[in-house]
Amino acid sequence: MVEMDKYMDQDDPLAGIDPLIHAPSRLRVMTYLYVVDSMDFVYLKRLTDMSWGNLSTHLTKLEEGGYVRMSKSFQDKKPNTMIELTEEGREAFRRYKDSMQQALGSLPD
Amino acid sequence: MTKKNISVEEADRHVNRSAFDDGLVDIFLFSLLLMWAVAPYLSVFIGDFWSSAIFLPFWGVLFLVLYWIRKTWIRPRAGVVKYGPVRKKRMTAFTVIMLILNIAFLILGFAAFFMPAGSGYTRTLPITIMLVISFSLAGYFLDVPRFYAYGLLWAGGFFVGEWLYQNYGFVHHGYPVVFGTLSILILLVGIYKLVTFIRRNPLPDEDSVAWEANNG
Repeated sequence: MVEMDKYMDQDDPLAGIDPLIHAPSRLRVMTYLYVVDSMDFVYLKRLTDMSWGNLSTHLTKLEEGGYVRMSKSFQDKKPNTMIELTEEGREAFRRYKDSMQQALGSLPD
Repeated sequence: MTKKNISVEEADRHVNRSAFDDGLVDIFLFSLLLMWAVAPYLSVFIGDFWSSAIFLPFWGVLFLVLYWIRKTWIRPRAGVVKYGPVRKKRMTAFTVIMLILNIAFLILGFAAFFMPAGSGYTRTLPITIMLVISFSLAGYFLDVPRFYAYGLLWAGGFFVGEWLYQNYGFVHHGYPVVFGTLSILILLVGIYKLVTFIRRNPLPDEDSVAWEANNG
């Protein structure tokens, strides 16, 4: 589980950047999961254009961080994995979004 | 890997838009437009009512075929998504607005029977307005930009047909030519999107199925 307190320095917005989310591939995964209730592995793979191995690696990391929940079921005798953000993941993403806006928003064009 | 913007708004649009990537809705729209191209010829033999009514079983069969394609070809490649509360609210708003609009147009349609029939370009004005509004709403709420174009082309088809009829004597107000061309165009878009979708999204291989069976 990621300890969020260490990223929450009010004076330094960059300190609020969660490294678990910040990696581009995981950021993409988190963004797509943030706008839906849940989606299955196939749908997420299609949206992110990632390979099965790559996506599963990132999902495992996010799951270990407590940001993602995966539930397995069978449809037409085939395995189906539904993926959704946990409340903690949703909150972490909101915090990440705010920190990035705060950090980059004041930069001149 | 395709480069894509990472933003919450764009992700939301992308999730929704991707549900229309398979081209099936385009193929169904083709069948609706086909009626406008073929019915004028049929009406000569079987009358106005049956020339349109005969399309109902055709649409029914086509719908079942497309449903089967969706279930067996598309679904395993496309996956499943459950929309979040914002998108659900948007879809509900779309459904309610379309329902109200359809009821309003149905009432207007009945009222039209008791009004003096227009002629030339004004005759089809109500249906063109309905088409532009409906397709624009669909384009906006479903985030599918090509629906705007379909609405404009379909609505504009009535005027182009009338123009061809008045200036070059095209039969049946030019509908067979205009809507025939347009329906084939939309069918080609649908087939292109369907083929592209299937090629871009192969069925999950054994490794990935095994991963899903063992993890998650």
